[in-house]
Amino acid sequence: MIAHRAWHWPAAVAVLLLAAALGIAFGTVRLSLAEVMAGAVGTGDPLHVTIVQALRGPRVLLAALVGAGLAMSGASLQGVLRNGLAEPYLLGVSGGAAVGAVLAYAAGYSGYGLLAVAAFAGSLTAVGATVLAARAAGHGARGDPRTLLMAGVVVGAFANAAIMIALANAPGNTVRSALWWMMGSASDATWATGAALALMLSVAGGALVAGARDIDALALGDEAAAALGVDVDRAAPRIYLLASLVAAATVAAVGLVGFVGLIVPHLVRAAGIRRHRALLLAAAIVGATLVIAADTVARVALPPAELPLGAVTAILGVPFFLAQLRRFRA
Amino acid sequence: MIEFRDAVVRYHGAPSPAVNGVSLQCPAAQVTAVVGPNGSGKSTLVRVLLGRQPLAAGTLHVDGTDRRQLSQRALARLVAIVPQREEPAFPMTVREYVALGRLPHSGAWRAETPGDRDAVARALTRTGVEDLHARPTDELSGGEWQRVRVARALAQDAPALVLDEPTTFLDVGHEMALFELASTLARGGLAVLLVSHQLNLVARFADTMVLLERGRVAAAGPPDAVMSARVLEAVYEWPLVVIRDPASGAPAVVPLRRSPS
Amino acid sequence: MSHSRTVVGVIGCVALAAAITLAGCAPREEPSRAVTDTAALPPPVDDFRHEAPRGEARRIVSLNPATTELLVALGAADRLVGRTSWDLYTPAVRRARDLGNGIRPNVEAVLETRPDLVILYGSEDNVIAARRFRDAGVATLSLKLDRIGQLERAALLVGAAVGQEGRARVVVDSVHRTLDSVRAAVEGKPRLRAFWHVWDAPIITIGRGSFLHELVEIAGGENVYDDVSTPSPRVELEDIARRDPAVVLAGPVGARRIRSEQRWRAVRAVRNGRVLVVDTNLVARPSVRLGEAAVSLARLLHPGSL
Repeated sequence: MIAHRAWHWPAAVAVLLLAAALGIAFGTVRLSLAEVMAGAVGTGDPLHVTIVQALRGPRVLLAALVGAGLAMSGASLQGVLRNGLAEPYLLGVSGGAAVGAVLAYAAGYSGYGLLAVAAFAGSLTAVGATVLAARAAGHGARGDPRTLLMAGVVVGAFANAAIMIALANAPGNTVRSALWWMMGSASDATWATGAALALMLSVAGGALVAGARDIDALALGDEAAAALGVDVDRAAPRIYLLASLVAAATVAAVGLVGFVGLIVPHLVRAAGIRRHRALLLAAAIVGATLVIAADTVARVALPPAELPLGAVTAILGVPFFLAQLRRFRA
Repeated sequence: MIEFRDAVVRYHGAPSPAVNGVSLQCPAAQVTAVVGPNGSGKSTLVRVLLGRQPLAAGTLHVDGTDRRQLSQRALARLVAIVPQREEPAFPMTVREYVALGRLPHSGAWRAETPGDRDAVARALTRTGVEDLHARPTDELSGGEWQRVRVARALAQDAPALVLDEPTTFLDVGHEMALFELASTLARGGLAVLLVSHQLNLVARFADTMVLLERGRVAAAGPPDAVMSARVLEAVYEWPLVVIRDPASGAPAVVPLRRSPS
Repeated sequence: MSHSRTVVGVIGCVALAAAITLAGCAPREEPSRAVTDTAALPPPVDDFRHEAPRGEARRIVSLNPATTELLVALGAADRLVGRTSWDLYTPAVRRARDLGNGIRPNVEAVLETRPDLVILYGSEDNVIAARRFRDAGVATLSLKLDRIGQLERAALLVGAAVGQEGRARVVVDSVHRTLDSVRAAVEGKPRLRAFWHVWDAPIITIGRGSFLHELVEIAGGENVYDDVSTPSPRVELEDIARRDPAVVLAGPVGARRIRSEQRWRAVRAVRNGRVLVVDTNLVARPSVRLGEAAVSLARLLHPGSL
């Protein structure tokens, strides 16, 4: 079996930094690396300064944080649910956030901060509903993870219905705005949003990394985890909640960006990292790189229009699922 | 080391208790076997030990302390439990898997210590799987996988070892190897609790047998005392005779045919 | 989970939510309602409540087809460096760079044309773009031009931003005069109940919130959906039939559909062949051609009156 090498780490960080530099250089206005540096320190063409400092800088930061958060969330959920197809939005995060955002738009509130709060609140409500539904179905806390997954599907279905009803009779621009939001975009990034997401990631993400050894045990099964000293009834819900919080925060910041949380953990495992503390950290680095790259592609693929970020990451799903299909020997 | 006293366990919604007043002791340096038909409550006892099922009445003490006062980690350092079934969602090397047995001893941020490495190496050797250390866990045969799981439990370095139906997927050779291992470990000082439906193997290797029937102790004591045809026929509801195995000298059950050939 | 953990968790969530709000909320802007001030001096704020620029803009980006038309009418077409994809009237306009459809414009592309004035459509989607332009030091004017009453204000603000206030006043007065003459021409005529077909699937018409509604009223018609306040309500065919308009107004494509589709025969006006074709280019937005639009509509509804 592959074992990862020590040099993988600095290499991954180097690739991330390179992606960030390219992300700032590429766009409608192509900048050379020298121009990027000049813009970063505030000298040179004022257009370039604006682009680097106000437009692309915060965008690349936000993309990196979103990628890191989604990857860590996905890796944690895949471990604790013992399922390689688990992803960050599983427990109702995406449906709930979308309902929150659509309701905000429909009510006429579309300021970025309010939308973020509405989406976040919607996510938390949906995750809460999922957990309660799973509890009710499972006669108590000792449920099968499949109960939780099914509850997530139910809540997601309900959210979809709610969104469709809300949009059915909404005026044109509400529908357009809501759809745009649901497809995910880093175009409204500001340094302040980046700071807020960084704060959330360091707290919740940090807690996930600190509890990573519990995920190692839980990935073997509830009984095995208990045998290895993990308080399953406390640890599992804690991880679901932290992973969902991180995912909800990314959704509040940029809308729905799929497949990152699903694919990145697999990539990192394929490189030979299996213990979850290293897995989460490596996933954060790779996830950040991936979303920066996706955001860059979103900006340069069809100028002057911009592709939604979620659309670009969705394309990644195709080769991934093909690979999974091939590996699935019946 | 492990002691149940008048234990009662009720599952949610079940008409009668799964365990109804069971008392048993598993002392150090001995193999204590719990046997009985399906549904007699054997695995329930393991679940109570794991903390996955609460006691409705009675007590459970581990190394003299009430189980309820032990944290999950503290329990894992005292008792190494190998549950009935286990399948990791993501494959890893055998060595990595056995190293997980050190989790009850490691802190959140501590790296692997030399003590950890020694424990893992010893565990691999004692179960005879050191050659498999680099093999991925999803490429092991049933017997190899079972031994690797026991290795992980041994890596925990706990004074007690609990094996829940450890021979389910094993062939004759591996069955014997596992029971011999259990016996050797007990001789070395471990308190070994073995849950099994393999009456004859248990009779050969266990120091004490506890026969459960529908949640109660039908018989307990050394194998010679428990392996009585009258008792076993009543519990298993099948005609049988008990002979003395000429090769090992231990009592052995021979089930008879009900329908003519 | 224990109670203390839950409490900490809830407090944490609330704190983070507050942080995100604060982060995203600096300066909160919302599109304001149109201020139809009848005084000659318009209030110096645009529809995002920002100070309206005054000056002699030389490099103008107009991301709102209505204001592009205004700029042409004000003689400032040669100063245009950026436009929407829909602005194709004259070669002078077409020469400017195509910057998309005006909603969520590509900020970098706009800034690349180095404008000194950007005129945005004042919808919520563009709030962030407006902030970006202002932060980059470019004068920004955000206008919603959805009602006839907003035209005067918009024209005067645009005029002030390009140093053509006088001409703007003239344009506005001319539009008003034409509208007044149309009103006079149809006065006394019976108001024709009209259904305006905007879209087919789903069926969308105009409500009180749309300037097309105002146009219909000026031209001597009565919108059968004047009880609905939103600008573009979705409606059901049966309801249209129940309201029984005397005429159906539609663009060329829509009219063809209505005349050919079986289901539309539920409406009496369609059965009687009273489907009138409107020049959609003329009535697409409230702009300098409003007067012409009102005239053409009045000719449709009351032939011979003008």
